Formats: sequence, C-alpha cells, structure tokens
Amino acid sequence: MTVLDRLKDLAARSPWIYRINSGSCNGCDVECATTALIPRYDVERLGCQYCGSPRHADIVLITGPLTIHVLGPAQRVFAEIPDPKVTVAIGVCPISGGIFRESYSICAPIDKYFPVDVNVPGCPPRPQAILEGVAKAIAIWRERL
Amino acid sequence: MNFLTLFVRNLRHGPYTDPFPFAPPAPAPKRLRGRIAFDAAICEGCLLCEKVCPSGAIRFSRTRDGLAFDCWHDTCVFCGSCEFYCPTRAVYTTNEWRLAHVEAEKFTVAEHGLIPNIVCLDCGGKGLDTAPNVSKVRPPLSADELAQLRGRCPKCRNKFLRARGKPS
Repeated sequence: MTVLDRLKDLAARSPWIYRINSGSCNGCDVECATTALIPRYDVERLGCQYCGSPRHADIVLITGPLTIHVLGPAQRVFAEIPDPKVTVAIGVCPISGGIFRESYSICAPIDKYFPVDVNVPGCPPRPQAILEGVAKAIAIWRERL
Repeated sequence: MNFLTLFVRNLRHGPYTDPFPFAPPAPAPKRLRGRIAFDAAICEGCLLCEKVCPSGAIRFSRTRDGLAFDCWHDTCVFCGSCEFYCPTRAVYTTNEWRLAHVEAEKFTVAEHGLIPNIVCLDCGGKGLDTAPNVSKVRPPLSADELAQLRGRCPKCRNKFLRARGKPS
C-alpha cells in the first residue's frame, strides 16, 4: 500500500448528501426523504446524511427535469459543492426528460449541464433503487478521492 | 397491554430495516411496475403500445430483419399503459426494479425484441411473423389453425379467415 492509498483511506469519511430540486414534481423528493428517514430503508447505514448547505456535501442528488427558470440557481448551487463530488440523477426526468421531454421550458437531459455519474431511473424510483444508486455513487466517490 | 404485545412482536420480528445494499433485497411486491419486458412470439404488431406510451420510451422500427422493438428504461415512467392496452400481453411489466446504473451504461438500459420477417407460405410475399389478430374470431381457432396462420402474409391470413367462414 502506497502512502497515497493510505492518505486516501484516511480522507474517506462519511459522504454527505445534498439534494437539488430542479423543478421536480416532488415525487422523487418524497422518495428521497423516505430513503433517508424511514428506518426500513435508512440511507444513514451507508454513512450518508442529508446536509443543509451545499458546501458540506459530497454526493449531490438532482431531481426534476431542470426547468429553464431554475437552471441558473442550480448551476450556482452545484458550483458551491466542493470537489470531489459525485452527481446522481434521480428519476427519469433529469436523465432524459421523461414525459416532459419535448417541453419548451425544460433543459433535460441534465448531462448537458452537469457531469452526471449515476442514473437512477424510475417515476419515482423505489427507495431501494435510490439506495443502490447512492451505494454506486459512494464507490465512485472513493475512487475520486 | 398494547405496548407489551408490540414489544413481544418486535422482539420476535427483529429489525424492520431492509438489509438491501449489504444483502439481497427483500422480495418486491408481485404487482410492482418495474422493468418492461417484451415477448416477440405473441406480439401482434399492432403498435398500440408505441402509441399510448406517454414518455415515448417504446419505439418500433422497421429494420432489414423485421420489426424491432425498443424500450428505453431511462425514459419509461412505468405507468403500465403498454401492458394495459396490449391485446396479447406481449408487452408486460415485471417487478424488477434494480435499474440504477452508471452514466456510461445510460443508453444500454433498454429492452430489445425483434419480430422477424417471413416469406408467405402461400403467395411467397413478404410478411412479419406476428401473432395473428384472431381474438374476435368465433369459434376460436384451434392450435393447428393458428400455426397455419402464423406463416402467412396479412393478405393470405384474411383469405384464410374468409375461407373458414362464419359458422352456420
């Protein structure tokens, strides 16, 4: 094990989650809340905790099809999250637009604007699917440290 | 008393947390609408699912080999309309929900199917190997007659059904 690997192991702490609602219908947000708060799913088993400030976050969950109105604020908030960060797109809206795909007022898919790493399709996805996505995000995050 | 029964039940049941990312998940409900599956063998090729799909996830396209079915799960909203409208349940929802994937696999999360081309047994014309649309034919066709219809083009199928005629 090199010194760098050891430093990486030391640096790996619990990744904190921040959620950006970019014009979501709230369905995915409810599922995110379910993932976090209900003991049945409990995302805190993975060491994740929702944080109120983007500056404390390591993993960012983006829900919603990224409406034009929220594009600027979302990019501003996203830029405040320190690197290395991992982006998870929750629901089909950010991934491809879903049923809003041909609307004049959305910017989906969001990978035109944000470097997405993990996609969790579903409308909304099950809490277990979000957990799986977060687990994959943590694996990516540990590599990036 | 109520508390005691709860207490005993919780002791017996153990933790309610689904151990999922660290262990196999609890079985999903049977009627959960998850990943779409397609059975090309019983598809009638009516393209109703493509028409009713609200998110444009289902797409049929004519290829050299036949009629190709594609369903992209990254835009499917799992509404189940395709299953509801499909006359033969060729398109159906399964309760498979593990669809989370990394960005590199974005365009591979899809269901593919192919209804192959056939050459008509009677006239030698081109046709598709779709299931015959005979749900309204009375009396119902026997398995033998269905097999005969299978290898024919639409025109010859109609001819076959007319020759079979209505029961007197």
